[in-house]
Amino acid sequence: MKTSSSYTAIAYLFLAPALILMGIFTFWPVGFNTYLAFQDYSLADGTSTWNNFAHFKYIYGEELFHQAIKNSLLCLLVVPVIQLAALVVAKLVNDKLPFITLFRASYYIPVITAVSIAAVVWTNVYKYDGMLNLVLTWFLQKLHILAAGQVVDIQWIGDPKIAIFSVMGFVFWKGIGYYMVLYLAGLQAIPAEVEEAAVLDGANAWQRFWKITVPMVKPTILLCTLLSTIAALKIFQEVAVLTRGQSDTYTALFYVYAQAFQNYNFGRAAAASLVVTFFCMILAVVQFRFFGDKK
Amino acid sequence: MASNTLRRIIGLILQYAGLLAFMAFTTFPFFWALSVALSADPSYIWLFPDAFVPHDFSFMWFKRVFAEMPFMVYLKNSTIMSFWTIIGVVAVSVMAGYPLARLKFPGRGLIFAGIIATLMLPSETNIIPNFITLKNFGMWAAALQEHLHLPSDWNMREWVGLNSYFGAIIPNFAGAFGIFLMKQAFEQIPQDLVDAARVDGATELQIMWRVMVPVSIPSIAALTIFTLVNAWNDYLWPSIVMNSKEKLPLAVGVFNDLTGPFATSTSLVMAAIVMTVIPVLIFFAFTQRYFIGGLDGAVK
Repeated sequence: MKTSSSYTAIAYLFLAPALILMGIFTFWPVGFNTYLAFQDYSLADGTSTWNNFAHFKYIYGEELFHQAIKNSLLCLLVVPVIQLAALVVAKLVNDKLPFITLFRASYYIPVITAVSIAAVVWTNVYKYDGMLNLVLTWFLQKLHILAAGQVVDIQWIGDPKIAIFSVMGFVFWKGIGYYMVLYLAGLQAIPAEVEEAAVLDGANAWQRFWKITVPMVKPTILLCTLLSTIAALKIFQEVAVLTRGQSDTYTALFYVYAQAFQNYNFGRAAAASLVVTFFCMILAVVQFRFFGDKK
Repeated sequence: MASNTLRRIIGLILQYAGLLAFMAFTTFPFFWALSVALSADPSYIWLFPDAFVPHDFSFMWFKRVFAEMPFMVYLKNSTIMSFWTIIGVVAVSVMAGYPLARLKFPGRGLIFAGIIATLMLPSETNIIPNFITLKNFGMWAAALQEHLHLPSDWNMREWVGLNSYFGAIIPNFAGAFGIFLMKQAFEQIPQDLVDAARVDGATELQIMWRVMVPVSIPSIAALTIFTLVNAWNDYLWPSIVMNSKEKLPLAVGVFNDLTGPFATSTSLVMAAIVMTVIPVLIFFAFTQRYFIGGLDGAVK
């Protein structure tokens, strides 16, 4: 048998690759971002100079950054919608019925599709002469709300008033399968007898959903809500591929990305990302409180 | 009794109606793309519902994708990058998971808490410092090359710096998810097995490689599958790191081509999209139980 000190050496040897890589690519960036936020950084020669909070003063007064923050907060609207929808869908696919695996798989397809590729199709869906308007036109004409010659021509991603909501629609489509799976795991932990007893007592589907399903998957709801709140604050790849920030769709992280890789102002980008990190940290603390209380 | 059965049937019909409606919502972009890509006649693309049925069935758009776009180059890059990401993630996670699960050493709790804490950080903000880090890697490599008087056509800057496969995948190697998954898997292995190996004089490396890894194959498979899909679909970081067209993976290369000057024909765009998504879908068809059934372990 070995001594405990040799275990320590072995343990750290095994952990070394993970610790080194995480140190370079996860922990170092946090520190370096904080440093950069207070500097004027020049990408060409790698020099940086202290600038007396200039970046923070700038973004504090900048309209674009305010709008980006506002959009990021607006994106939180997607959280309750996606959670409720995911729970309902999980409930629908929780029964052992024919073809149920096919349904589950088809709901998961958006999750495993590359965001960039999915966005190309969705750009064609959202165009003013795209598929969404065609479908709406078809339905409204069938229902005789629109006359035969009239068409719906909403600029889903061209109109600054609705573009951010279209981005949220894309986020919803892309993410719902992921939460469905998490809820499915939660639902499968509910014993079947509970529901059967409620059926015998004459509870209808609506009552069973709110009085049994929701309370019993409450831990999963909490987890998923926090996950999707953080994800909603971090929305930006969808913006980058769908609208590229046009028509007032800047989100906080898209601002960071655009400042860094379109304006090459790394310092200002770092300052903005520090603000985002701060918000995420607050959420992390909330998360710990929630799950700390539970145990 | 009869009314009860009737109610059951109506409920079932409603359930299937809901399921089908939602299926239409999640899959319509794909079916639209498929049907447009298979139609030689592009005049139905902007007609509903005709666009969802192939007209004039042919594979000509797929052939044109191969002719007009370096699709095979992108496919090769995606394969290389995904393969090495899997190797890297599994190796790093297995090695880190083992001591965290089975060895007692000072600092274990702290290290584990630190790794889990990275889940809270908005990893997207790392792109700026990591970009600079990789740029420095490239500069150091170039300096080393010069210092050692290596032939200038080696171009070591593009081995480890920006515009390298290495740079595009290395930040993904050490992830909290993988380490956590392997730690959980290793914790479930009976201690007797480890003790028996130790009594037989096995070293820690042998215990890990000969005892732990074979028993944990299902978890490693799950990690491999998740990593593959993530690596295959990774868009943002490769799009920032890579600047030469011949090193782009599918998710970036196809997107750039489809939104750039290439996007002259919607049929061509849709064909390229179908070709990009199909490999993932086939893979998903075989492994879907890992995605939509095997997550319970990760949630609990």
